[in-house]
Amino acid sequence: MTSSIIFDRLSFSYQNTPVPALQDICGEMARGSFTMVMGHSGAGKSTLCCAINGLVPCFLRGDYAGMVTVEGMEAGKNSVPDMARTVGIVLQDFEAQLFSTNVELEMAFGLENQCLPRTAMEERISNYLRVVGLEELLRRDTATLSGGQKQRLAIGSVLAMETPVLVMDEPTTDIDPEGRLHILSLIRRLRTRERTLVVTDLDAEAAVHADQIWLLKDGRLAAKGSPTEILTDSSLIESCGIRPLGTIALFQAMNWPGQPLTVEDAATEIENHRLYCPHRQERQAITALASGKVILETRNLSYQYPSGAINALDGIDLTIHEGDFVAMLGQNGSGKTTLAKHFNGLLKPTAGNMLVRGRAVKDYRRHELASEVGYVFQNPDHQIFAPTVREEVAFGPRVLGMDSKTREDNIAEALDATGLSGFEDRNPFLLNRGERQRVAVASILAVKPAVIILDEPTTGLDYAHQRDTMEMLKRLNQLGHTIIVITHAMWIAEAYARRSILMKEGRILLDGPTSTVFSDEAMLAAASLAPSDLIRLRNRLGLAAITLTGMVKELRGVHIEFPFSNQR
Amino acid sequence: MIMNLTLYNDKSTWLHQLDPRTKIGGVLLIFVICLCFNHPLFIALILTGVLAIFTTAKSIKVLWKLRFLLVLLFAFSVVLWPFFIKGKTILFQWHGLEVSRESLLYGLAMGLRLMTFVSAGLLLLATTKNEEITNGLIRLGIPYPVAFALATAIRLAPTFADAGATIVQAQVSRGLDLDSKNVFSRFKRFAPLSIPIFISAMRYTNFLAMALESKGFQPDAPRTSYYEPQITGRDWLVLGFLTLTLAVCLYLRLSLHWGIIISGRL
Repeated sequence: MTSSIIFDRLSFSYQNTPVPALQDICGEMARGSFTMVMGHSGAGKSTLCCAINGLVPCFLRGDYAGMVTVEGMEAGKNSVPDMARTVGIVLQDFEAQLFSTNVELEMAFGLENQCLPRTAMEERISNYLRVVGLEELLRRDTATLSGGQKQRLAIGSVLAMETPVLVMDEPTTDIDPEGRLHILSLIRRLRTRERTLVVTDLDAEAAVHADQIWLLKDGRLAAKGSPTEILTDSSLIESCGIRPLGTIALFQAMNWPGQPLTVEDAATEIENHRLYCPHRQERQAITALASGKVILETRNLSYQYPSGAINALDGIDLTIHEGDFVAMLGQNGSGKTTLAKHFNGLLKPTAGNMLVRGRAVKDYRRHELASEVGYVFQNPDHQIFAPTVREEVAFGPRVLGMDSKTREDNIAEALDATGLSGFEDRNPFLLNRGERQRVAVASILAVKPAVIILDEPTTGLDYAHQRDTMEMLKRLNQLGHTIIVITHAMWIAEAYARRSILMKEGRILLDGPTSTVFSDEAMLAAASLAPSDLIRLRNRLGLAAITLTGMVKELRGVHIEFPFSNQR
Repeated sequence: MIMNLTLYNDKSTWLHQLDPRTKIGGVLLIFVICLCFNHPLFIALILTGVLAIFTTAKSIKVLWKLRFLLVLLFAFSVVLWPFFIKGKTILFQWHGLEVSRESLLYGLAMGLRLMTFVSAGLLLLATTKNEEITNGLIRLGIPYPVAFALATAIRLAPTFADAGATIVQAQVSRGLDLDSKNVFSRFKRFAPLSIPIFISAMRYTNFLAMALESKGFQPDAPRTSYYEPQITGRDWLVLGFLTLTLAVCLYLRLSLHWGIIISGRL
């Protein structure tokens, strides 16, 4: 096979940063192959992508050494618009890429730059909208699309340019599980054509179908190989900030033979080797989760956006107890965020009541509420403004009028809890995304609210940072804070939340202990969600435990009690 | 966030189908027609005309979205103008400040004129896609980079407003008091809002530039256009009608001296 992209000792460091973003990258990607580039955040994945079409070093400047050749063209020597004839790239922030009035014109933009006549454009647009499954939405305003649809449009608009190389930088981040599945299946379909695909992702489950995986670590190519070679090495990928595959993790923990990459393979292995005899899961009745005092309560709460015609929330009855750890799950637009914004009074119900500690939210003063219920927004950059971490974190306590002694104590405590002690005088804008996220949490924490709501706290973070963030929330929960997490990352709900609330179209579909909610795959599918591979395997085996260690214990226990399952 | 701040109203009325050049020219003509008179009654008539066009374009809700802005402009003008204009019929005097019947009417006229200007501009934005405006400007001889920058600015305003709304919510959640009466605390709350808005705008535009270049966009290179507007008979009819109206208005003002409250002023 001929190579399509050749990296020859590529090194790059951004202006004014001492640490190189890429170091000595050597390797080839064959024409028509699908390469998955993985690594922790800051490992250099995006830089690598941008080096393929020359954004590095033409647009993002710095010290550049080595060479990248794409289909015979040297990136960096040619301008980015010239490279665009060969390389199509879907950048990480897909929201910012869409700027046309409607879907059709968005698709047309690249083609206009290629000077295509109108009839040819029409043909390409209808072809590629069908490929990405948006043919019905030709005239839709791009702002009204769901996250998954936006991402597919971003991909479609680049596909339409029919470049021999297609690069996608984290195309599945920031979208709901259903949108994610759509995009992963789209990538698999794209791969069958004469096209070189380069995709980056943080999730190992996305890499199973790649031809080869490049593992980046601190700007260096740590490993390169087939999915079977790379993904089965749990300690290697975990050291690169990637969550190991659930199936592999379970098989290794159990010392079972075989290295299944998918749930289906795992089930086959278990059956073939008679490792365990699956039994039907007992359907647990969903019990009330009464424990502690009620802190948040909604009574028949409905909400309609001023511009909207339908209820964004429709008759929500919900009680949340002090000290609970709740995950709110659902597709984009299912009403999770809208509901959570009622908890701290950012939105006022159109009908029904929102009570905090039994008192209606409208009877609270703004600062009283801010010290009861804290809300960490999805994007930390929407709130960071101060020149130092200390001042940033001090903002809440200061505007709430705490005296300087309490203020200092609270700030120190908040920084300690978020692992930011020692960062006091650092500039928050120069921290990495995971650290900025922690600053945002600390700035809420310093007010000491009883309830902390976090909207997508792990978006854009790699596994190591995700785990750090969640472990921090777990500690805060143990200290008595009620934690409510809105998330698309299923494993987070599975591993950390005691209670899961499933939302769909402004209503609560299912609400109960996480272990029970995640047993009900039919209900999850109805909410356009799917559990992680580990939990799917757990459900197939009919286990009760929901964490890896719990499952291993349960499986071992079973093994001793019913030895026939393995010896027959 | 379900907050739609885009002004374009996707319908298919006669106005939407006009060539963007016609609409840009038409709006300019309406501007000049407005300048013909300074009598509130005459300007009110022109405003009624613009509102009638809004109704036929099924876009009155765009105006409704910006009602606060319109009312604000009107109120400011009505309140402030009378103090700066001298008239014959003095209504009251106070420490050298005087308000006359003429100046009051003039203020009213200016308020209405401002509303007409804004409404006419909104008429263009409500019925013309961003790409059409770019296209129209280019065909009118404006250089591509300028046209593109202008259209992008129009496009980005709602995006930044949206980011702004999120930022306000994020800071209010941290206890930022936006209802405070104190002038100094108002100053203080400027930083928590403006810095994140500024930074997110910078990030966004930088990113957008990368995306544009990656799709082969070069401001000075030739490119085709997916949307190719055609000037039809209807366009000439609209332009002809507006030009005729302007001619009539000029005649009324200059020869018959109609529609004047204070002469010698626009």
